[in-house]
Amino acid sequence: MTPVKTLARLALTALVALATPPAAIAQDSGRLRLEITDAVIEPMPIAVPQFIAESAGASDMAARISQVVVDDLIGTGLFRQIPSDAFISQVTAFSSPVQYADWKAINAQALITGAVSTDANGLINVKFRLYDVFAGQELGDGLQFAGTQEGWRRMAHKVADAVYNRITGEGGYFDSRVVYVAEAGPKDQRQKRLGIMDYDGANVQYLTDSSAIVLAPRFSPTGDRILYTSYETGFPRIYVLDVASVGRRALPIPDGDMAFSPRFGPDGNTVVFSLTQGGNTDLWRMTVDGASPVRLTNAPSIETAPSFSPDGSRIVIESDRSGTPQLYVMDANGGEATRISFGQGRYGTPVWSPRGDLIAFTKQNKGRFHIGVMRVDGSEERLLTASFLDEGPTWSPNGRVIMFTRETQGAGGEARLYSVDSTGRNLKPVSTGGAASDPAWGPLQK
Amino acid sequence: MKILARAALIAGALALCACAKTGADRFGNDVALGGNAANAGIIPGSANDPASAAYFQQSVGDRVLFAVDQSTLTPEGRATLQGQAQWLMTNSDYTAVIEGHADEQGTREYNLALGARRANSVQEYLISQGVASSRLRVVSYGKERPIEVCSTEACYAKNRRAVTVLAAGMS
Amino acid sequence: MHIGHYISGVGHAGFIAALLFGGFAPTPEPFEVTEVAVITGDEFDRMVQAARPPQTATDVAMPAPPDDAQSDAPAPAQQDTPPATATPKVTQAPEAETPPPTPPAPTPEADVSDEPPRIAPPPQEQAVLAPPVSDRPVPRPVPRVAPEPVARPEPEAKPDPVQREEVVPDDALPPIPQDPQEATAPEEATTEIVTEATEKPSSAPTASLRPKTRPNLPAAVAETKPAPATPPATNQNAVNDALAAALGGGSASSAASGGDSPPTDGNGTAPSGPPMTAGDKDALRVSVQRCWNVGSLSAEAMRTTVTVLVEMGRDSKPIHATIRRLGYEGGNETSARQAFEAARRAIIRCGNDGFDLPAEKYEHWRELELVFNPEKMRIK
Repeated sequence: MTPVKTLARLALTALVALATPPAAIAQDSGRLRLEITDAVIEPMPIAVPQFIAESAGASDMAARISQVVVDDLIGTGLFRQIPSDAFISQVTAFSSPVQYADWKAINAQALITGAVSTDANGLINVKFRLYDVFAGQELGDGLQFAGTQEGWRRMAHKVADAVYNRITGEGGYFDSRVVYVAEAGPKDQRQKRLGIMDYDGANVQYLTDSSAIVLAPRFSPTGDRILYTSYETGFPRIYVLDVASVGRRALPIPDGDMAFSPRFGPDGNTVVFSLTQGGNTDLWRMTVDGASPVRLTNAPSIETAPSFSPDGSRIVIESDRSGTPQLYVMDANGGEATRISFGQGRYGTPVWSPRGDLIAFTKQNKGRFHIGVMRVDGSEERLLTASFLDEGPTWSPNGRVIMFTRETQGAGGEARLYSVDSTGRNLKPVSTGGAASDPAWGPLQK
Repeated sequence: MKILARAALIAGALALCACAKTGADRFGNDVALGGNAANAGIIPGSANDPASAAYFQQSVGDRVLFAVDQSTLTPEGRATLQGQAQWLMTNSDYTAVIEGHADEQGTREYNLALGARRANSVQEYLISQGVASSRLRVVSYGKERPIEVCSTEACYAKNRRAVTVLAAGMS
Repeated sequence: MHIGHYISGVGHAGFIAALLFGGFAPTPEPFEVTEVAVITGDEFDRMVQAARPPQTATDVAMPAPPDDAQSDAPAPAQQDTPPATATPKVTQAPEAETPPPTPPAPTPEADVSDEPPRIAPPPQEQAVLAPPVSDRPVPRPVPRVAPEPVARPEPEAKPDPVQREEVVPDDALPPIPQDPQEATAPEEATTEIVTEATEKPSSAPTASLRPKTRPNLPAAVAETKPAPATPPATNQNAVNDALAAALGGGSASSAASGGDSPPTDGNGTAPSGPPMTAGDKDALRVSVQRCWNVGSLSAEAMRTTVTVLVEMGRDSKPIHATIRRLGYEGGNETSARQAFEAARRAIIRCGNDGFDLPAEKYEHWRELELVFNPEKMRIK
């Protein structure tokens, strides 16, 4: 607060106090009413005692699962873990009553208790309870998950998703996967192949080999298929890959044309993509089976990087019809496009948030790249990052976090994945075990 | 001399072979090919053989450069392309793929489209000079295959290019 | 060569598919989600009653006074809480390692450790660009955003929403028995979220330390001091009340402890009569908003204004069981619940030691209607 403000407030207070007879201040309702408009934004301290092993041999699994739960929650930047050596009371059994006072004393605002059991068939059972320590009550009912041992990480993610949801009121995003381009080799001979991994970088698998350049994969709405661009034939073509079978097929494209930048519509059946004919790039639409192609734009400018609104009615695109690349919103069936980006610099790779309220984009200005967000009408633009080269944002399934590619400059330049909260907080690298680019976040798994 | 000649022959063959496929190894290495045959006589396939791909690369010039964001040909670019067109008319059993490229200052997909524009400018110019359109194909690599790897304008300028890559055999 | 690739590709693909889905695919539903059915809520309650005679799990329903007592009671009763280990280990107070009966004090190391990897831009960019900007310090990214900027606290201070003077037992002449009180300070905070993009590149070498947020310092002092909220306030409310009563007015008491009393709202004008002054109200508002953490609220909840009713005990502590939602605007039922939970935590946490309220005006603040409006925080 500035001194001027303080002074003004002081003066006002004095004035009111002097001018108003005491009787007039008396409360109308007999109840003092105050409006609180300032708050703090800080990570909520949580306590997560290691989950209880409820069967012989489950203690290792219990330790690993609790660690993933903690990593998920702390990784959001919204929570901070209270180290276990600060704990006053220990949780020795899942059903033992909670000593709220002990947790209050160490300022734990939420407490998560859990238990893990395994059986002879290789199945594990994970259960948890969440407590609002200061309110002295459980938040929601306890839940339990059963699954195979191999799926233990997913079960931990499910627990963390449930906790996240109950505290924030938002859907979680931990039990989700990311498809991306794994990179290797020097800048001028970069090897690229499709990788898929858990959102936290675990369980990396490769879906293609490195014999051809692959670019910009995208998940289908249900996460079972992937659209991407590959130079398999020597020319960029769009492929549909089935995640389960890893089988792939090309979308039919006229010989001599280039096709790239494919995106699924929310129905999982529509594909919008860029087609280059005679040097001119326009947007087209067809079904994922390659049927009924429709031309959406017809201009001498470049139209690319489309992204559907969650309801499928509109798309936001990148176009240089004004002279530089800018963002436009248009009907998903074609027609007029309305420009929404008006700031300085060039805008690209717009991505509509799954919540529908924001559009994330890449911005290039004064020799630097940014990831930013703006409202759907282009207002309230806000840049979240800045570096030599940031590009290609993708939203977490709950629309809270953005993952993107950050590439360092120079001959040894290398691309890595980063994530940042849509508020601009909690910027951090995503572990991929190697160079990586073009992340696309999949849906929350069922 | 004999060994040198053989080396040059192999180099030429390698160059052809490299042009025929789309592997990554082609992009950075083509300039080095001619050195072997510098003082040799006219050896088929070498840079001294006016009908060779190596000659096309080095003496005619296989690439043209572009200004930032541009796909308009420069006067120097047009001169190079006139040479290319003449060569292609003379050596009519070659086809060519024109590769468009962009520097790293731009988003991946936009740069693909930008590279395509550049390749297309070259293709149209060659056609205007009399090369049959059926002998020319275009492809864009966007910013995926820089030839220079530094992150300064000196490198960017060389990366904003369209390269005419020969392939043997008329269809 | 290509054939080799294909064969390899197909082979790998098959292998990957087996790895990926071998575990899950056979079971139609990878997860069975059920509510924990181990015990019912009633059973749980009964177990709680049986296992531990009094309070603990049920303190929600308790009125404030017992709740207050309870915060002291169970700890000594528990045999398994060795005082030495129970206290957070980095505490500085050399004397009295006794279990601090006083307020929640988060462990300091955790606060330090969650500094996000906000790194200064790579040196070469700076070197090349040398942007024509001044070295003016900009708000630094701090994991905490608060209404008032708070300079980085002294390293030995424990985070506490309220700034307190260090109270060391003084053998010489202790007028009032006081608990040892560690020096605390609010956690470092900025007034808005600083994104990487808004960080102004400084022309200074990037490897050197960033300038301290000096311009903020006076503000921080000015803001935290007027908090008449908790002067020497330990948890001893009897003392507090007596003191307040003796001095005849809430904010005046800050002079007793704070030493230099900056211009405090309403300080000089506080009438001794019953009505709450603007200063009284501001003090209460400030003490509640210090604990109102909206950092983990959903976007929807950040559009939800909740009105909360709370009844207060004469000890100026909120009676937890009375905290309830009167209504909400914007958002939906789910977001209203989250917003209410955050508001409730704010009231309970910062009311833990009692709010700074003039005792003689109890009738005015016996019932409080607090409207938590996050609109301003949305844009931060």
